[in-house]
Amino acid sequence: MSFAKINDDVLRTLSAPGPMWYGGVLLALLAALVGLFAFLYQARTGLGVAGYEHPILWGIYITDFVFWVGIAHSGTLISAVLFLFRARWRTAVARAAEAMTVFAVMTAGLFPIIHIGRPWFFYWLIPYPNERQLWVNFRSPLVWDLFAISTYLTVSAMFLYLGLMPDIAAARDRIKDWRQPIYKVLALGWRGTSRQWQHHTALYAFFAALATPLVVSVHSVVSWDFAMAILPGWHSTIFAPYFVAGAIFSGIAMVITLLLPLRRIFKFERYITVHHFENLAKLMLTTSLIVGYAYLTEFFVAWYSGNPFEQGTFYDRMFGQYWGYSWMMFTCNVILPLLLFIKSFRTNLKALFVLSIFVNIGMWLERYVIIVTSLSHDFDPANWAGVYQPTWVEAAITIGSFGLFFTLFLLFIKNFPALSITEMKETMDRKAEADPAASWPEPV
Amino acid sequence: MKQDNSSLVEVVERRTFLKVLGSAGPAMAISACSPVPPEKIIPFVTPPEDVIPGVATWYASVCGECPAGCGTLVRTREGRAVKVEGNPEHPVNRGGLCVRGQSSLQGLYNPDRIPGPQRRRVTNAAAGQSVLETLPWDDAQQELIDRVQTLRDAGRGDRIVVITPPLTGTMAALTSAWVEALGGARWIRYEPFAYEAIRESNQQLFGRAEVPRYDFANADCLISFGADFLETFSSPVGYARDHAGQRRVRNGEKARFVQIEPRLSMTGASADEWHAVSPETEGLVAAAMVQTIIGEQRAQGVPLETQAQIAALVASTSPERVAATSGLSADTIRTLAREFSDPARGPGRSLAVGGGVGVSGTNATAAQSAVTLLNYVAGNIGSTVDFGAASTLDASTYADMRALGESMRSGAVELAVIYNVNPVFSMPGEADFAGALADVPFVISLSSLPDETTRHSDLLLPTHTPLESWGDSNPQRGVYGLLQPTMQPVFDTRHAGDLMIAVGRALGGNTTANFPRRGGFYRYLRDTWEAMQPVPEPVTDATDVEAETAAEEPDFESYWADALRRGGTTVAVAPVAVELRPGVFDTDLAGALSPPSPSSRSHVLVAYPSLHFFDGRGANRPWLQEIPEPLLKTTWGTGIEMTAETANAIGAEEGQLVAVESDHGQVDASVLINPHLANGVVAMAIGQGHTHFGRYADGRGVNPIALLSAEPETGSGGVQWTGTGVDLTARDLARPIPRLQRAFDQEGREMAQSVSLAALVAGDVHPEEAHFSLHEDHEHPVHRWGMSIDLDACNGCNACVAACYAENNVPVMGADRMRRGRTMSWLRIERFEESGAGGDGPDNRFLPMLCQHCDHAPCETVCPVFATYHTDEGLNAQVYNRCVGTRYCANNCPYKVRRFNWSLPEFEAPLNLQLNPDVTGRSDGVMEKCTFCVQRIQAGKETARDENRSVQDGDVTTACEQSCPAQAIVFGDLNDPGSRVSQLSNDARGYHALAEVNTRPAVTYLKKVTPDA
Repeated sequence: MSFAKINDDVLRTLSAPGPMWYGGVLLALLAALVGLFAFLYQARTGLGVAGYEHPILWGIYITDFVFWVGIAHSGTLISAVLFLFRARWRTAVARAAEAMTVFAVMTAGLFPIIHIGRPWFFYWLIPYPNERQLWVNFRSPLVWDLFAISTYLTVSAMFLYLGLMPDIAAARDRIKDWRQPIYKVLALGWRGTSRQWQHHTALYAFFAALATPLVVSVHSVVSWDFAMAILPGWHSTIFAPYFVAGAIFSGIAMVITLLLPLRRIFKFERYITVHHFENLAKLMLTTSLIVGYAYLTEFFVAWYSGNPFEQGTFYDRMFGQYWGYSWMMFTCNVILPLLLFIKSFRTNLKALFVLSIFVNIGMWLERYVIIVTSLSHDFDPANWAGVYQPTWVEAAITIGSFGLFFTLFLLFIKNFPALSITEMKETMDRKAEADPAASWPEPV
Repeated sequence: MKQDNSSLVEVVERRTFLKVLGSAGPAMAISACSPVPPEKIIPFVTPPEDVIPGVATWYASVCGECPAGCGTLVRTREGRAVKVEGNPEHPVNRGGLCVRGQSSLQGLYNPDRIPGPQRRRVTNAAAGQSVLETLPWDDAQQELIDRVQTLRDAGRGDRIVVITPPLTGTMAALTSAWVEALGGARWIRYEPFAYEAIRESNQQLFGRAEVPRYDFANADCLISFGADFLETFSSPVGYARDHAGQRRVRNGEKARFVQIEPRLSMTGASADEWHAVSPETEGLVAAAMVQTIIGEQRAQGVPLETQAQIAALVASTSPERVAATSGLSADTIRTLAREFSDPARGPGRSLAVGGGVGVSGTNATAAQSAVTLLNYVAGNIGSTVDFGAASTLDASTYADMRALGESMRSGAVELAVIYNVNPVFSMPGEADFAGALADVPFVISLSSLPDETTRHSDLLLPTHTPLESWGDSNPQRGVYGLLQPTMQPVFDTRHAGDLMIAVGRALGGNTTANFPRRGGFYRYLRDTWEAMQPVPEPVTDATDVEAETAAEEPDFESYWADALRRGGTTVAVAPVAVELRPGVFDTDLAGALSPPSPSSRSHVLVAYPSLHFFDGRGANRPWLQEIPEPLLKTTWGTGIEMTAETANAIGAEEGQLVAVESDHGQVDASVLINPHLANGVVAMAIGQGHTHFGRYADGRGVNPIALLSAEPETGSGGVQWTGTGVDLTARDLARPIPRLQRAFDQEGREMAQSVSLAALVAGDVHPEEAHFSLHEDHEHPVHRWGMSIDLDACNGCNACVAACYAENNVPVMGADRMRRGRTMSWLRIERFEESGAGGDGPDNRFLPMLCQHCDHAPCETVCPVFATYHTDEGLNAQVYNRCVGTRYCANNCPYKVRRFNWSLPEFEAPLNLQLNPDVTGRSDGVMEKCTFCVQRIQAGKETARDENRSVQDGDVTTACEQSCPAQAIVFGDLNDPGSRVSQLSNDARGYHALAEVNTRPAVTYLKKVTPDA
C-alpha cells in the first residue's frame, strides 16, 4: 500500500459512472420529484390532504423531521468526537458519515416547512429586523430548533468541506474533465505546503471541538419540542439524553446501511474492513442499551408517579390501539440489537446490514409512537381519536425525502472522494503495506 | 346589474354590494324591508335614522321553526340578517333560543331554496318525465288564480284542498277567509308532531282538546313519561329555562326530576333518576302510581268520592302487575308514587308530563289520560298543569291527513294547495301520500324550500321564510308575537299571505271584501292588530298630533310601533278551572292502557323526534348536520340505535348496515351502539333520510317513518310513533356515522365534577388547592373577562354551539372531515357518564368545553411567532394573520379547544351572506379558537363609552351565554367583585377543569349537584 495506491483507489471512484449509478440517481430523483409534487399539492389544497385527525395535530412530518435529524447525528459523532478521542478507526467511515450528516440535516430542515399550515411564511420563525417590528417568541422550543438545526447544518457542512479540501485538490490534479474547474475553485488554491497543512490541521481540530457540543445540543433541543410541552408522554426530563442516544443509535444504523453497499460497489474492502463495522456495531449496541433503558424508565416513572394522565398514556401506548407500532418499535430497537452481544453476529456483515435496516425502521417508529400515541390519548377523554391514518401525500413526501437524500448522497460519492485520502495516508501503517487492513491501529 | 331587484343573490356581487353600500348604505338598510313602506319599520334598538354601515340594526320577530313561537331579535348588518337571538322580553322563551332557532338563518340563506316561480312541463307523459320551467311571478300568480277560479266558478270549490301548518294569528284568519272565498275548500292544518294524544285525552277528561302549559318553574317533583320537553315538545326553550331555574339548589333543596322512557333522551340525561321501561307501558306505570297514591291516601285536593271513582279506573293496574309488563319494579313504582305525592309539599307542587311523541303508541291516548290522572290526584291540575295559558296548537290530526289521502286517491280532490309542509316525508311511508298526490290533477306548492312534497307539485310558488315575512304568532293563549321582515327577500319569493289576498281579490264575488284592496298582507296584519288593540286611553292633548296618519289612527301607531319594537304583546289570561267529566269513569282505562300483544317481530322500534331536525325540516341546514347530536355525538347522519348485546345477537357492530324490516316497510340503517335502551328496544331519530330536500340532507341517515304503520292511533288519530315491531338482519356493508366523541368514561380524570347535595349543604366541598407557580401572574389593570358554566343547569341542548357557529363565522366542514374529527366548532359539549345514579341510567354530565382563556396558557409559550398571546384583559388572543400553522399551541392545550383550518373554509352562496362582518374570516393553515366573543366585548365597551360610563355587568354577553335556555353560562368581568361571574367563580361548587395542570383558566365550572344516595 502506498500513497499513490490510495490516491488511485479512491480517485478511481470519481471516474465516469456506470448505468447502475445513473439508474440509482434517476430513481432517487424520481422519488424526490414525487415528494415535491405531493408537497405542492398539499400547499395548494391545505394540510387537510394529510391524515391528521383531531387531536393528532402532529404526525408523519414531524416523525420524519426527528428521524432525519437523528440520522444526522452519527456523522458528527464519528468525525468530531472520535477524532478528539483519537479513535483512528473512524478514518475509514468518517467521510461517508459526514456527508450523510449534511444531507440528512438538509432533508430534515425541509420538514418543519412541509409541516406548517402556511409554508410560505416559514421565514417568520427567523428573527430578522423588519418594519412591522415583529419578533419571534424565544420561549418557544420551535425557535430553539431553528437555531439548533441551522447551526448544526452550518458547522457540519463546514467541517465536511474542511476535511474535503486536500482531497479536492488531489482530484483537481487528477481529473481532467468538466469537473476540474469546479475542483479548482473548491480547492481554494490548495497546494499542500507545510504552512497550509499546519493551518488545516489546527482548523480541523478547532472545528472538531466546536462540533462536539452540537452532537449533544441539537437533538436535546429537538427533544425539547416534546419535553417542554405539557402533554403526557412528552413532558419528561429524560427526553434530552434519551433522544441524543436514540439519534446516535439511528445514525450509526444508517451509516452501516449506507457503507456496506458503498464498500462493495467501490471495492473499498481493503479500507473499510469488518473491524470497522464491528466497532460501529459496538457503538450501536451501547446506544441501543441506553435507549432501552430510557423506554423502561419512562414506563417506570409513569407508574411510579401515580399520575393518572401519565399512566393512561403509557398504558394506552403499549396496549391501546397503537400497540402494534409500540411493540414493533421495542423489538427493533431493544430486543434485536441484543444480538450484537454475539461476536459472530456483529462481524457478519450481512446480518449487520439486515439489523441496521430494522433499527432504522424501529427508530422511525419510535418517533411515530411518541408523537402520535401521546397526542391521540391526551388529557381529555372526550377527544380521544381513532387510529391515525396517513394519506398518500404523507407517504409520497416521506418517500420523497429519501429520494432527496439519496440523490444528494449519490451525487456526492461520485464527485467527491468517499474516503478521506488525507487521513488514510496519515493513519496508514507504512511498514505493513502488504496487508494494510490488518495493520490499522487498534481503536482507543 | 339586472333590473330585477327583488333577488339579492342574483344581483349582488361582493363589490357591487360594497358600492351600493357606499353610496346608498343607509337607504338600503332602511329599505331592507320591502315590499312594505320602509318608514313603518321600527328597529328594536336603533331608530332608522341612525342606521349606519358598520352598526347593527336589530329587529324583533318570532322564530318560525316550530309551533312554540319563541321571540327573537334578529341582528342585521347592512341589510342582511346575520344572527338570531332570543328576545329577553318575549314571554315564551325570555332570552334563550334553541339550536333550531339559531339555524333559521340557514333556512333563509339556504342555497337550495326555490329561486323563483316554477311550472312543471311534462316532457314525456308515458315515461312520467317532466322538467321544471321558470316563469314570471305575474304568470305564476295568474295560473294560481285561474286554477282556483275555474273550480270555484264551476261550484267545485269543495274539491280544492289547502294544506298548511297549524297557523295561528292573522295568517290563520286570512287562510280561513281564503278557503271560504275558494268556495268551501278543505283546509287541513298539518303538523307531524301535533300531540293528538295529549289533546284527545284532555278532551276526554276535561272537555278541552288542548296541550296545557306545564309549569316547570313550580314543580318540586317532576316525573316525565318520555316527554322530551328540553328538545322538541310544545315549548322547549321556555320549558328548559323554567326547569333549570326550578332545579337550582335553594335552601339546601333541589327539585326532583325522574324520567321514565324506553330510550334515554337528552331530557332524560339530566334527570336525577332515569328508568327504562318497555315501550307503551309508561301509561301503566302512571296508572299504578295513581293506584298507589289513592290506596295510600296521599291524594291531595280530590274529593273522596272522586278518588274512589279513579281508584276503580285503575283497579287492575297494581304496581306488581305493572312491574311485570313495564320492567320497572313494584317497589320503584311505589317509591316514585310516594315521592310524587309527598304531603309535606302540599298540593300542586309536583308535575307529571306525558311525552309528546315519546308516549305515542297504540295506547297513547290512554297513557296520556293516566298521566293526567296522576297530576289530578296530586292536585296539579290548575297549578302546574295550566289550561289557562294552554297552547293554541290547532292542528288537524294525522287521521285527517290519512283520510285526505284516501279522498285524493278516489279522485275527490281536483286541486291541492300545499303551503310549507312536507307530508310526503313526514307521513308513514305506508300511507303513500306521494301516490295520493299523483291522483290529484293539479298540485300547487307554496314553499321556501324544495322538498319531497314540492317534487310532486305542478306549480311551485316560492314563499318568504319567516325572517323575510310580516306576520304574527299566537303560540299560547295570551301571547301575541309579531314577525317583521328583517331583510329584503334573498330570492324571488312572495309572502303566502300576499298571494292569498291577490287570489282572494281576483276571484271577485261577495268574499272580495274580506281582503284588503291595497297593502297586501301587511295591511291585513295591521288591520287585525288594530282591531285587537286594547281600548285606547282618551287623548288628553290633541295639539301633539302632527302627522296625518297619526291623526287618523291616534293611538294605534304608537301601539303598533311599540309592539314591533318589543316583538309583540301579551294579554292577561284568566285561569281556567277544569273538572273531570263524569263520562270518564265509564271508560275502561286499564284495558286501553295494556300494551298490544307482542308482535312476531324480534325488536320494538322507538322513533323519536330529533333535537336538531325536529320532524325533518332542519335536515338541509349544515349547522344542524354538523353539530354533534347531544347523546351519541353523531354528525351528518342517523342510524339505528341498539345496545351492544342486541348488536352481538344479530352479528353486527358499530357502523355496520342492518336491514330493518317492519310489517309496513324496510330500510337499511347503520348501527349505533347506545347502551341506554330498554330491553328489546331499538331506536331511530326522526328527521333524516331525505331524498329530495337539498344538498346537505339528501342521502343522509335514515327515515324511520318509512317503517311505521299507516294506521292512526285509534284514540286520537295520531301517528303511532313507538311500538312498531321490527326484525334486524345484519348486512355485509359498513357505513359508519362519524361520531365526534367516542369515549364517555372520564377514566377518573374529573373533567366534569359533581358534588352530592348533602355534601354541598354540609359545606363539604373540597375547594381546589392553590397551585404554586414560578411564573409571574399577568396583570389585568381594567378588566379580566371570565366565565362560569353551571354543569347542574347545562342540559346539553347545543344551543350555545349553534350560536357560536353563527356569531363567529365558524365554517362547516362536512361529513368526510368529521370522520377525522376535523370539526371547527369553538365550543363543544362533552358528555360523560359516571356510574352511581339512581335508576337504570348513568349519572350524565354535560361539559361545555371552550377556550379556557388561561392565565398561564400553555399555548402562548410555545408559539414561535407570538400569534397567540395574553391580552391585558385576560383574553387569550389569536392573531390569524401572524399564525404560520405549527399547531404546537393545539398540541400543548390540555383542553384541545383549538381548531386548525385544514382547508380553506367554504360558505356556499348565499350562506356567505350570513357571515358576521365583525369577525375576521380565517384562511387555511391557521389556528383559531374561542375569542370570548371579543367583538361583542368591544361592542359592549363602545356602548359604555358612548354613554360616558364604565362597563357594567351585563353589558357584554357572549353568543353562547345569550342563547343558553338554561342560563348555565355567565360571562363578565372578574375584576368587578360585584359581577355575577365573580360571585359564581367563588361559589362553593366552583372548580377549574384539569386544575392540576395549573393553567389557571378564566372559565370556572360549577359542579353538578347529584341527589343524595
